[in-house]
Amino acid sequence: MNYATFVRLRQGFWEDFGSRIDEARRHPRRLDYDQLEALAVDYRRLLHDQALARSRFAGTATSRRLERLAIEATHLLQADDRFRRWRPMHWWRVTFPAAFRRTLPAIGVSFALFLIAMSFGLVLAAIEPALGMTFLPPEAIENLRRGTLWTESIFAVTPPAVASTQIATNNLSVVLTAWAGGALAGLLSLWVILLNGLMLGAVIATTMHYGMVGPLLDFIAAHGPLEISLILVAAGAGLTVGQAMVRATDVPRGVILRAAARDAVTVALGCLPWILLLGFVEGFVSPRPELPTISKALIGWLLWSAFVATVAIGRVEQA
Amino acid sequence: MELPPHQQARIDVEADVSDLLGVDNVPLALPIAGMGSRLLAASIDYLLLLLVITLVILIATATMNAGLVPVDWFWPVFGLLLFLLQWGYFLGLEVTMEGQTPGKLMLGIRTVGDQGGKAGMGSLVVRNLIRVVDVLVAVPLFFIDRQARRLGDHLAGTLVIHERLEHEDSVSLGRIPAGWSAREVAVAESVLARVPHLLPERAEWLAGLMLERLRRDDPDAQPLPDEPAPVALARLLDARRRVW
Repeated sequence: MNYATFVRLRQGFWEDFGSRIDEARRHPRRLDYDQLEALAVDYRRLLHDQALARSRFAGTATSRRLERLAIEATHLLQADDRFRRWRPMHWWRVTFPAAFRRTLPAIGVSFALFLIAMSFGLVLAAIEPALGMTFLPPEAIENLRRGTLWTESIFAVTPPAVASTQIATNNLSVVLTAWAGGALAGLLSLWVILLNGLMLGAVIATTMHYGMVGPLLDFIAAHGPLEISLILVAAGAGLTVGQAMVRATDVPRGVILRAAARDAVTVALGCLPWILLLGFVEGFVSPRPELPTISKALIGWLLWSAFVATVAIGRVEQA
Repeated sequence: MELPPHQQARIDVEADVSDLLGVDNVPLALPIAGMGSRLLAASIDYLLLLLVITLVILIATATMNAGLVPVDWFWPVFGLLLFLLQWGYFLGLEVTMEGQTPGKLMLGIRTVGDQGGKAGMGSLVVRNLIRVVDVLVAVPLFFIDRQARRLGDHLAGTLVIHERLEHEDSVSLGRIPAGWSAREVAVAESVLARVPHLLPERAEWLAGLMLERLRRDDPDAQPLPDEPAPVALARLLDARRRVW
């Protein structure tokens, strides 16, 4: 087929298809099923015309026109629809637990590294208290010397609702950064894990040094276990992305990266509502001195168990 | 007469297109948005975000000073609002505006899936939450990557393309002389499309060169007496101007 014949025979179809695409783009909701199906069928015919023009009549006006029509139609008719119809219950019961379980080995590594860093910080600050004190601001050390925790002075001047929001938004940022840090070959996630472990170990040793470990454990009993767990879960999810970036496999890196990123973001998003809840607990429950430590510990255990239950009970087989 | 290379009409130069395999493995040349347009769009968006945050602060302060909201609830709501703006501006807008933000809209660029289709919600969530680390590495990646993808694009499987929705004033030939390949057709169409935008003497010269080539392949193709070369060329090739 020569160029002139090609244009003469197909011109009408292109014009009709172009006008239908324009109309569909302007008023997508007016399309009924039959019109959409006809567009989808004609889209393939157009793609084949475009492929022919591209190979036989490259550089011509017709080839350029078909290329443009194909791009416009592709954007209108094709979509990555895996996440388009979001079903919250299905997400919580199936998608999140499945992603969590696929990410579990990296989350395990995250917890292990955290424990190593915490032990290191604890031992280091116990041997050399001055090193431990560098992890706390001077006002906090001053408070410890006076026999009070630094948290008491904060909560004495800040209303619980304000503190709760500040804590929640700060922790949300930490969780998201710990996850996103995986995109730097996992280095930022690793840094979040090791720094948090080192700091917690050093802070515990420093409070031990001043005989204040009891009040510290009382303060963190309600929110601490789950808060640390969520940060480590998000950082573990980040590590899976980092691993996908550096690990050699026979699957194209782009494919592995995308799969790892989908799982990782699902896990990180699943942590966010818990962080909001913990902000409330940390602002309203943790600072209350009249609440016995055992009650706070019970709340902390219940929260942690509830989180574990959501990932353990999920219907993974349907994911 | 064969045109020397430096005088040949430009056929179709797209410095920043990228071939991708679409449906049925048909290659599509997507017009990739380069570093310049993407950084400009991001700058517009960050300025707009700054403006919105400033407005929120002003309105919030006025509301609190007027005693319309209890102080205990003011700061929590304000804090959450700021957090949502900081983390949700790009994500919320790209989801609701189908891959665009005000900055992208102004620059005529859009985020799409790696086959040119609409980017899904999951892809948009990934690429926008990664932004926090992308601010550190995006610019070097724009230089390195042929498709100007930042980390978020790699992880989400997305591209940012020029929409190119403006219509092109184009010319197509109704008659093709024997022996002409797509290259000659493309040059003739390109010359005829440019004629209205050229100086008359330049248009006459270019069309004259094309006519010479036409007469070599088709001796019967002769211009009428006193007929300007562009008009003769259009007539002999049955050229039709179309706005596509």
